[in-house]
Amino acid sequence: MGRVRDVVRFDVIRTLKKKAFWFTSFAPPLIMLTIIGISYLSNQGGKNAGQEQAAAYARIAKIAVLDDSGLLNKRLLQSRKIALEPNIATGIAAVKSGRLDAFLYYPHDLVRGGVKVYARDMGITFSPSYNSAAVQLLRQSIVTTIARDISDRQALQILQQPPAVTAVTYRDGRSYNALAQMVAPGAFMVFFLTIVILLSATMISSTTEEKENRTAEILLTCARARTLVWGKILSIISLGLIQVSVIAIPLIIYLLLFPKTLTLPGGVSLAQIPLDPEKLLWALAFFIGGFIFFTTLVVGLGAMFPNANEAGRFLGIAMIWAYVPIYIVPLIINSPHAPMVTIFTYFPLTAPTTALLLNTVGALSPAEAIGSLAVILASISLAIPFAARSFRYGALEYGRRLGFREIWQRN
Amino acid sequence: MHTETIVDVEAFQMRFGDKEIIHDLSFSVNKGEIFGFLGANGAGKTTTIRALLNILQPTAGTLMVAGTRYSPSMAAMLGYLPEQRGLYRNEPILDTLTYFGVMHGLNWTDAKTRALKYLKQVDLAGKAKARFATLSGGEQQKVQLGSTIIHDPALLVLDEPTEALDPVNRALLLDLVTQHRDRGATVILVTHRLDEVEQLCERILILKDGVRAVYGHVDDVKKQFGGRALNDIFLSLHQKGAS
Repeated sequence: MGRVRDVVRFDVIRTLKKKAFWFTSFAPPLIMLTIIGISYLSNQGGKNAGQEQAAAYARIAKIAVLDDSGLLNKRLLQSRKIALEPNIATGIAAVKSGRLDAFLYYPHDLVRGGVKVYARDMGITFSPSYNSAAVQLLRQSIVTTIARDISDRQALQILQQPPAVTAVTYRDGRSYNALAQMVAPGAFMVFFLTIVILLSATMISSTTEEKENRTAEILLTCARARTLVWGKILSIISLGLIQVSVIAIPLIIYLLLFPKTLTLPGGVSLAQIPLDPEKLLWALAFFIGGFIFFTTLVVGLGAMFPNANEAGRFLGIAMIWAYVPIYIVPLIINSPHAPMVTIFTYFPLTAPTTALLLNTVGALSPAEAIGSLAVILASISLAIPFAARSFRYGALEYGRRLGFREIWQRN
Repeated sequence: MHTETIVDVEAFQMRFGDKEIIHDLSFSVNKGEIFGFLGANGAGKTTTIRALLNILQPTAGTLMVAGTRYSPSMAAMLGYLPEQRGLYRNEPILDTLTYFGVMHGLNWTDAKTRALKYLKQVDLAGKAKARFATLSGGEQQKVQLGSTIIHDPALLVLDEPTEALDPVNRALLLDLVTQHRDRGATVILVTHRLDEVEQLCERILILKDGVRAVYGHVDDVKKQFGGRALNDIFLSLHQKGAS
């Protein structure tokens, strides 16, 4: 154990001293914050510009209509200073000549024919609002007409603007918000996939570096291959925990300080996320199990190759399996017991992500969880001796890649 | 007079697939001597060393270090400089030397103290925080040797230690080896450099195509070959048709 601790100490400290590690740790949250910030500012700017433009347009635009449907309210048209055209051809000609900014045609059968808009081009941002203006005019006309027969103000308001909806759903007699339930276990899945990709380079270089530097042979006289491999695995896990902390701790602190400010899509407040202990335990088990499995596998595979470049090309194929289950998310949500989902749940390379996804959507039964976790643990127990043998024999092969058969057959 | 041995190899055989690399090799290394282990490229020297240090498993025979099969738990007594060697290219040399000291049984504080002392001894104290890759070739070799001897091992196994060294650094390295021998350490020197062998070694073994061709005290070997120099003996053994 002492040797393992020494390997972990050396590997972790030297990695923490590298700028690249901190760059990859801080880059994802910073990029995410930057994108959210830019998106927010852009939306706000676009919204304001759009509103200003629409207001200006309403004041200056010259619009005419031809109403064969009979649904447009004449007073409303007059109040908006919207003229009437005698036929479609004159309306289109007026737009083409520049006399009108827009000509709106409402046919007799609006349900089938729809509204036709002929308008001067105003650029990609503004031109589509002719369409909404046309629909809005029709809607307000109908509401104005109906309003004569309705005395209830609230009913009128609802006609003009649908009310907000707040849903409370129940499962097993208890209040159950499916979206909110997904947040906490889903975070483990996001962390798992993030850490696998962030640490992939460290995983690959952890053994190839010692092979490239020609230090592996000396180290093998100081510690057993299995000890060194455990040291590598625990180093990467420690670094993974540091990276998760870098992402998670600021978020947790923010939540503690401003619990009501963050709201997810669907109106779920982060301060009110339900924490289901069973789901969280499974999520933690699959997060740790999956991370150890991929780390061990990559450490072992990396030791087969003469250098990190060659290893990287091959290992990309192995790593991508962690992401493959993302492509069957709709199937996992709608049909969690479909054969493909079952295969992915028990196939070692896809099991961690699939189980984390199933757990996130609340479709992972205890039997499936135990079975999938057993597959991952069995895979780890095979991957560790493989990694140790690969490191031991790969360390002596500086110029070529070892084959799987060669690793198992050597004595 | 009874001589205590530190390495005992008996009927060692090594096969890789159908190819026999080492055939029935037996020899021993005495405590406190510098032992020359010679042979042309591909003779099986490195394979023998790797089997002795338990990096490779022998096909047959026994290879003992200090009366037992070598295991990493004996790292404190071993300093090994492999033929294909290097250190962490992007780490400060002080950190690397400290780590290798720790891996050979020292605690972190002691290892760091010894690393600093060694760097001072070889005029590299000012570069303790420099990355290995930024050092000159000669400086890198000094650090490399330091990583082998920092823990003051009882057995030094040096595979081609002076390869690619300039005369100044070569002399420095051989001086360090001699100092270690004088302090009671045993040295196995794997080399092609017969002048080094004549200068340093008490006994030698010449391996030819995996078979022991010559083994014994340097003076006895020379007598056996009519008083010829080791270089001539080595060449005559490797001339076409020599057996």
